[in-house]
Amino acid sequence: MSATILFKNASIASAGQKELAVADVLIEKGRIKSVAPGLGEDKVGRVVEAAGKVLLPGLFDLHVHLREPGQTGKEDISSGSEAAINGGVTGIVAMPNTSPAIDSAGLVHSVLDIAQRKARIPVYTTGCITKERAGKEMAPIAGMKSAGAVMLTDDGSPVCNPQLLRHAMEYAREFDLPLASHCETMELSGHGAMNEGRVSYQLGIPAIPAISEEICIARDIQIAEYTGAHLHIQHVTTARGMEIIRRAKNDGVHVTCEVSPHHLIFNEEHVIDYDTHFKMNPPLRTPEDNERLLAGLIEGVFDVIATDHAPHTDFEKRQQDFASAPFGITGLETALPSLFHYYIKPGVFGWDLLVERYVAQPRNILQLEQVAVTETSVADLVLFDPEGTTTFSREFMRSKACNTPLLDQTLDGSVDMVLGGGDILLERD
Amino acid sequence: MIEPRKDLLQIADLSREEIEHVLAAAQPFKELFKRSVKKVPTLQGKTVLSLFYEPSTRTSSSFEVAANRLSADVTNLAVATSSVVKGESVLDTVDTLQAMRADYIIIRHKQAGIPNLVARHTGAAVINAGDGFHAHPTQALLDASTLHDVFDSADFSGRKVLIVGDILHSRVARSTGCILSKLGAEVGVLGPGTLVPEHRPADMKKFPDFEEAFNWKPDVIYLLRVQFERQGEQFFPSAGEYHSVYGLTEERLGRVREEGIWVMHPGPVNRGVELTDSVMNYERCLINQQVENGIATRMAVLYWLKPQLESSL
Repeated sequence: MSATILFKNASIASAGQKELAVADVLIEKGRIKSVAPGLGEDKVGRVVEAAGKVLLPGLFDLHVHLREPGQTGKEDISSGSEAAINGGVTGIVAMPNTSPAIDSAGLVHSVLDIAQRKARIPVYTTGCITKERAGKEMAPIAGMKSAGAVMLTDDGSPVCNPQLLRHAMEYAREFDLPLASHCETMELSGHGAMNEGRVSYQLGIPAIPAISEEICIARDIQIAEYTGAHLHIQHVTTARGMEIIRRAKNDGVHVTCEVSPHHLIFNEEHVIDYDTHFKMNPPLRTPEDNERLLAGLIEGVFDVIATDHAPHTDFEKRQQDFASAPFGITGLETALPSLFHYYIKPGVFGWDLLVERYVAQPRNILQLEQVAVTETSVADLVLFDPEGTTTFSREFMRSKACNTPLLDQTLDGSVDMVLGGGDILLERD
Repeated sequence: MIEPRKDLLQIADLSREEIEHVLAAAQPFKELFKRSVKKVPTLQGKTVLSLFYEPSTRTSSSFEVAANRLSADVTNLAVATSSVVKGESVLDTVDTLQAMRADYIIIRHKQAGIPNLVARHTGAAVINAGDGFHAHPTQALLDASTLHDVFDSADFSGRKVLIVGDILHSRVARSTGCILSKLGAEVGVLGPGTLVPEHRPADMKKFPDFEEAFNWKPDVIYLLRVQFERQGEQFFPSAGEYHSVYGLTEERLGRVREEGIWVMHPGPVNRGVELTDSVMNYERCLINQQVENGIATRMAVLYWLKPQLESSL
């Protein structure tokens, strides 16, 4: 049984509320008992002085690669969920591109079973749209749903065959499962390793044009509109792609979408001297895309911020050349401080946007119970110190991997404390 | 005084002064070749290792001759044909080679950026002998050296060079284009729409056809080697069509001769594709000089670079 905890004078972040509200927050039996100024300290197990600190609901990451089963040299469910906690994330959704791929009820069950035993936060899993993510046959969608899968995706690859995708959407629609699309036109991407543009020309790196992603976004939206299924577009990187989604939303298509912090912060200009920490798929695009995606996030085109946390080993990322190194960077531990450092602190957007896009909406897409700093909510909480700093050293990381461009960099803000279901999961001095 | 560099990875790194320094250093070596003894003791006792992950006869032998003429000990590792263990990274190989205490590593690889990776990993001086579509700096230097002879100056201001062909996949176009710009020349490009990328440097003017390119009055036409197909991707309908639109045909050679335009090609040439046979006998065809200057230029590069090994201090 978790002890009672009282946060004194915390600045509370909520969706839909621009200003932080200062109050005390009392946690009892895993839930928030009361939120009000001047709560008494009698019989409270622990009092945390939170003046000047931000108390927000635990983040929820809709796009995480936990690499288990089969690729546990990169990450596993235990280390990945600890990385999440380290970054103030208290709920994660695993992608199914493991080895073997999570494409059956048995594998969904097994992943959730490991998570139950090894993870200190709720871990959800997706299931594949197609068997082995091969794009040939539909995976057992109903079976995976009853085993607990919350979303379907072949993440890492698109479903190339539009007829198969259409059937999957029509079928999944009846089970109320969203389909998440990794949008890419493989023939256009070829052996590409970065965005097609000025920098790819200079470096002589085979490139992935923006239209590879945009054509697939447009196609998948048309299929979603035709079938009425809920389509979720993963990691949108181009302004044009975003505009296609905006139009579809205006037309009433059931489509949601996400943007990752790295596609807001970094762009192709950062790929200097073949640094593989800037190699991801879809690739970093242009500075103009950064700006327009950020505007889209503020305007509400993006429902969700999600990291696409993609751990890889040191050998894979640091000892190999740009073309051979795998795509992806880690994100769970860096997301909150980096979004604070680059956007919240300078006033580009507020805490309300972060809570809306990184807590409320992803939970809403999966129809999960909402978490907020309000009475009766589950006490999944993050205490964040805006005056602190975080250095992303190897020692700091709880992930097995440290393939992030932010490695050894120091950003403003610090996750001081994380609570999951009222239990203290992390407390930093 | 121009300080030596550890590595030669890409022309973009070099200042104009550095380029001029290497070109000047190549001149005495060119003279040396006219003598009966073509060897100098400059790099005696030094080890040069050449690692070619991509087959090449011309470039690897040019480096070998260059190193030999500087009296270095040269070992060629034809990695392209030897068994590279799957899963072994280039750096694993380099670690193994460290034990051989090479002073200079010459490397060619089909992936862009490999020489940069190796250079960060070793104290040996690394020379990029061609990496993917990225760079081929010694080719650029030998091209500049060849034009230096023709123009009798390392200042190419007011000169115009038309590069024809596959700009997209050409490390030669990137490196030679870069060095020409740095030395003051104007660079124009001509080629199929599939092979002339929009994202090329802004100062590379694109021409729609030979007619307009000729009207631009180029001093040099630089033909690139083309491949009809790459990994199953087709960039133009046929070699015949390429030749008729972008090739140096007999008819176009007439115009070239009339205007006294110099012709270059990095070799090996595809006869009947980039050029017609008789171009090879055209008096202003510089292809053989390019090969010859390759040795002197590579000697100048080896002479200039300075490994940062404990043993070399």
